[in-house]
Amino acid sequence: MDLIHDGKTRKVHQDPESADREIVEFTDSIALDDEKAESITGKAELVYRMTDFLLGYLEGKGVDTHFIRSLESPKILVRKVDIYPVLVVCRNIATKSFCLRSGVDEGTVLEKPLVEFFLISDRLHNPLITERAIETIGLVKDEILHFMRAVTLSVNYYLVELLKQQSLVLADFRLEFGITKAGHIVVADELSLDNMSIWDKGAPYMNFDEIKGKEEEFIQAYGKLVDLITRTKPEEVSNRNEILQVIVKPKDGIRNPPGEVTKKMLVRMGFGDAEDVRVGKVFNIILRRPITSEILHQLNIMNIKLLSNPISEKHEVSYG
Amino acid sequence: MSIAVIRFPGTNNDDDVMRALRQIPAAKPYLVPSRKGLAGLQDAEGIIIPGGFSYGDYMRAGAVAAMEVISAGIRDLAEDGKPVLGISNGFQILAEAGLLPGALLPNVSARFICRWVYLRVSDQPSIFTENLENAVIRLPIAHAEGNYFCSEDYLIALEGEKRIPFKYCNAQGEITEDSNPNGSIENIAGVINQKGNVLGMMSHPERATRQILGSTDGLEILENFVRAIR
Repeated sequence: MDLIHDGKTRKVHQDPESADREIVEFTDSIALDDEKAESITGKAELVYRMTDFLLGYLEGKGVDTHFIRSLESPKILVRKVDIYPVLVVCRNIATKSFCLRSGVDEGTVLEKPLVEFFLISDRLHNPLITERAIETIGLVKDEILHFMRAVTLSVNYYLVELLKQQSLVLADFRLEFGITKAGHIVVADELSLDNMSIWDKGAPYMNFDEIKGKEEEFIQAYGKLVDLITRTKPEEVSNRNEILQVIVKPKDGIRNPPGEVTKKMLVRMGFGDAEDVRVGKVFNIILRRPITSEILHQLNIMNIKLLSNPISEKHEVSYG
Repeated sequence: MSIAVIRFPGTNNDDDVMRALRQIPAAKPYLVPSRKGLAGLQDAEGIIIPGGFSYGDYMRAGAVAAMEVISAGIRDLAEDGKPVLGISNGFQILAEAGLLPGALLPNVSARFICRWVYLRVSDQPSIFTENLENAVIRLPIAHAEGNYFCSEDYLIALEGEKRIPFKYCNAQGEITEDSNPNGSIENIAGVINQKGNVLGMMSHPERATRQILGSTDGLEILENFVRAIR
């Protein structure tokens, strides 16, 4: 197997059977503060078990991920993707770096999940970056960021609900996204304590800023957590509704009689500032599953074939 | 001459069209509910899509009916050269299905209009207007979305290819702005496809087939339609 990438916590190999697939092999290394720290025997196995279970769970709920299936521990088979240069972080509880830059107390439960983006850059130590900045410097298109945000919120819902079964709380997690050769944007990450922070009874389930000398304790706690997670019941998490909104507008330059009538009445009622009114339509399409590239592609076909008439109308799609 | 008269849910002129066709000896009209799909078109030598409010005209007039399975069958028969006539909502369905160019937008008055209009028949021959070339005919309209629109390029093509058989006009046959009931571009009241066998028109020939109704001009168009089935 050809080694494609030798990362801190995983090695990526070319799948000898298909150019479109890769084999991710987890390692025992622990990444602390972006530095390759130490190795703890047994960690790779736990990351493997947790990722296998959670990615399989998310796929089962309809989230599009790079996961194909597990191979022998600690390897998983995934679709090959081009990774977007941003990390998407979702927070439910205020922790470390967020507290430092917001002044919010550690452990504060956020009113609603917060999605933030970080630039993937070893040299700059993965700094926080705004969506506007990402788009302005041409890193990732706005619509793709929007998609990542929506999928991240779906993932958050499904993970939160699953962990709840064991009275665990998902404080925050981060994901990488990638695009497949077929143009599908998918979650392309593992799901383990390397990128998730899980709390229990108001405090982090595991707090190992200093692992030296506590390796055994670490592995034991980690193993207990993985046992808890793999004993959850995915079928008891109900699917969440997602709303796709299609807005159909009359094309510029085409007369819009319903708008003209509306304008006339607005002016007659004293709203004389109405210079022009154009009436369109809004379709709210409710899905019982997460949004995927394939669904947006299908919707685009439906927009052209049914929901709008391309001769006289234009359409836009919004969600999340 | 088996003529399939298609009835979508919400079509309500099917009976009028059937009755008008029965006046024509060679015509053998039969009603096809759209749910019959392709099977309903097996014996069809010609197709008429009557007016009405298919699927309640929700979304856009004709848009839902145009996506039904039977509409794919109508497309196949049209490609085979069988005559197809879409009247009013039938025209909207043919335009939405892409069998005819352009779109039928809401009337500029934003109102439903039901009245008699005059149409100037083109002097160019078509299977639907034989013996009517250059005539001024009188037919009723009844629609809220009959405002024909197409791109400038299409308009040039339609004019150039003599594919505009009817234009709204006054009693003297003059094509004027005042005689345009709904805002249609260039007073267009009907268009024909490139092959010449599919016609869409907003006015109702089936409602002008007896003297007692005020005009028999519509009967001539339907007779031409039947004659075109060979």
